Order: sequence, then C-alpha cells, then structure tokens
Amino acid sequence: METLSFEFPAGQPPTGRALVGCVGSGDLEVLIEPGQAGKLTIKVQTSVNGAEQRWQHLFERIFQEQMPPALKIDIHDFGATPGVVRLRLEQGFEEIGHD
Amino acid sequence: MVNTILAHDLLWGMTPEQLPVDAPAWVVESIRAGQPVVVRRALSAPDCIAVGVRGRLREQRFATVMLIDAIAHRVKPEDLCHVLIDRDLPAVHALNDLRPMLDACGWVWGVSGSAGFELASGIQALHEGSDLDLILRTPQPMDRLKAQALVKMLDAAACQVDMQLQTPFGAVALREWAGAARRVLLKNAREASLVIDPWEQAA
Repeated sequence: METLSFEFPAGQPPTGRALVGCVGSGDLEVLIEPGQAGKLTIKVQTSVNGAEQRWQHLFERIFQEQMPPALKIDIHDFGATPGVVRLRLEQGFEEIGHD
Repeated sequence: MVNTILAHDLLWGMTPEQLPVDAPAWVVESIRAGQPVVVRRALSAPDCIAVGVRGRLREQRFATVMLIDAIAHRVKPEDLCHVLIDRDLPAVHALNDLRPMLDACGWVWGVSGSAGFELASGIQALHEGSDLDLILRTPQPMDRLKAQALVKMLDAAACQVDMQLQTPFGAVALREWAGAARRVLLKNAREASLVIDPWEQAA
C-alpha cells in the first residue's frame, strides 16, 4: 500500500462534491471535493506499489487538455488500469457539473 | 474450445518458452513451477488468448498471451464452488459461510481471484487480509433491488467480498450495480465503458 500526492495548477473551485467508483480489484473509488482556488490536489492510495510515474503521466495527460477547476481529489485505487482511472475521473467531473 | 474460454478461467500448459524474452524472472519461475495462468479480458490474435501470470507479491501481475493450442487443462470459476480448503483464514470462512446461500440464489456462481487460484492449484495465494472474489453468471438482467439484497448477504461475510456480474456484454461489479450511480462501469475484452444498462448491447 502506497500513498502518493500530486498538485496541478487549477482555476476556481466548484460548489459540488462527488463520490464515484467502486471498491474492488481493477477498480477505484474517487472522492472529489472543492479545493483551494488555483490548486488541484490529488491524493492516491494504491495497492500497487512503485507506480508514481504512471499516475503523474496519466494526470498530466488528463489535465493538459484544459485548465481543471480547483479540486481536492481522493483516490483509493485497487489496481485499476489507466483507462478505468480516466473513466472514473470523467464520471466524477460530470457529477460535479450537474450540481 | 476457443469460444468457451472466458475471463477468470485458469489455464495450464504454458511453458517458459512461450513467454516474451523480456518477461521478469519471477514470471519465468511461476510458469516453470507449473502454475496456471488466468484469462484476462483483452483482445488477442485469433490463435491466442490474453492471460495474466501471478507472482507472490500483489504487484507481481504480468500480462501476456498464450497459444490456444498449448492449453493442457482448464478450470472455470464455477468448477471451484465446492472445492474445500482447510485453512483458518477470513476468506475461507467467508466462502464456507456463503456457499449454501449462493447455491440457493438461482444463478451460477464461481470463485475467482486469489481464492480461485488457490482452490484450483493448491498453491497458497490467500492470506489473512485477502478479499474473496466471486463471479456470478447473469445472462439475464438482475434488477437493482435484487443486487442490493445480494450485497447485504455478502456484507455479512467474514471478509470483504467482491462479486462481478458476468453479463453477455462484459462484467460489472455487483456493489456498483446495487449502488446509486446512474451509469456503471462495464468491462469487456475491447474496453471499459460507463453504461446505463450492462445487459444492453452498446450502440
């Protein structure tokens, strides 16, 4: 078990929060809450050790497309593939957008 | 045989020579020791099947492919429902306690993950903190209320139990289907996607 922290530049915080995903092999649980203006912080707790670079690259790819809102994201990972991580984050962003 | 091989099946017959040259040493060792490989949900060439090799450590999982012609023996998760192991572990107790209820649930169920691997091979893979991974063959839709009742039953077990529903179009976590999310994660050989109905063919 490993806990990783990441930080990215961001815009303004949204108002809503969202909990998506599922506890179980190959999946992850994502809690998204409003963060501090200008900052996107991510904490990843993962069952797979030694994958910090992979997470960093994945987040960079996701957030380089457009400036993300200021969020505090908490991830509990159970060995999800990058594709599943991306889907779950998109699902979470979508839910926040609906508030 | 090709069409009948499904994700979570355990296969024997892989040899070190079939592994890619860059396979880590622990992978070669596992295969040389005669361990089975587990079928993955991934696309592969028509004469191959996507498989995973397990190591002793949790992060030791190696994805590769196996020639279908090399398959010497196959065990499906549902073949393992009534295999007993005599080990004092939460996952073993959970399986023993749930067995009668699962037998009576009206669906075909099976054991996957580390419990399935240990039941099928006799190689110790479970430990004190292991979850119990189960599958349920659900060719017909399961409504969400029924899913909630099943989750309640599994939550009374001695350890965390993760059940995957195997629909004709992929696999979905029972716990998620029982939850409040409008869209749920469906995994199949081609992709993972968020769907409203896991029993409906994607457009």
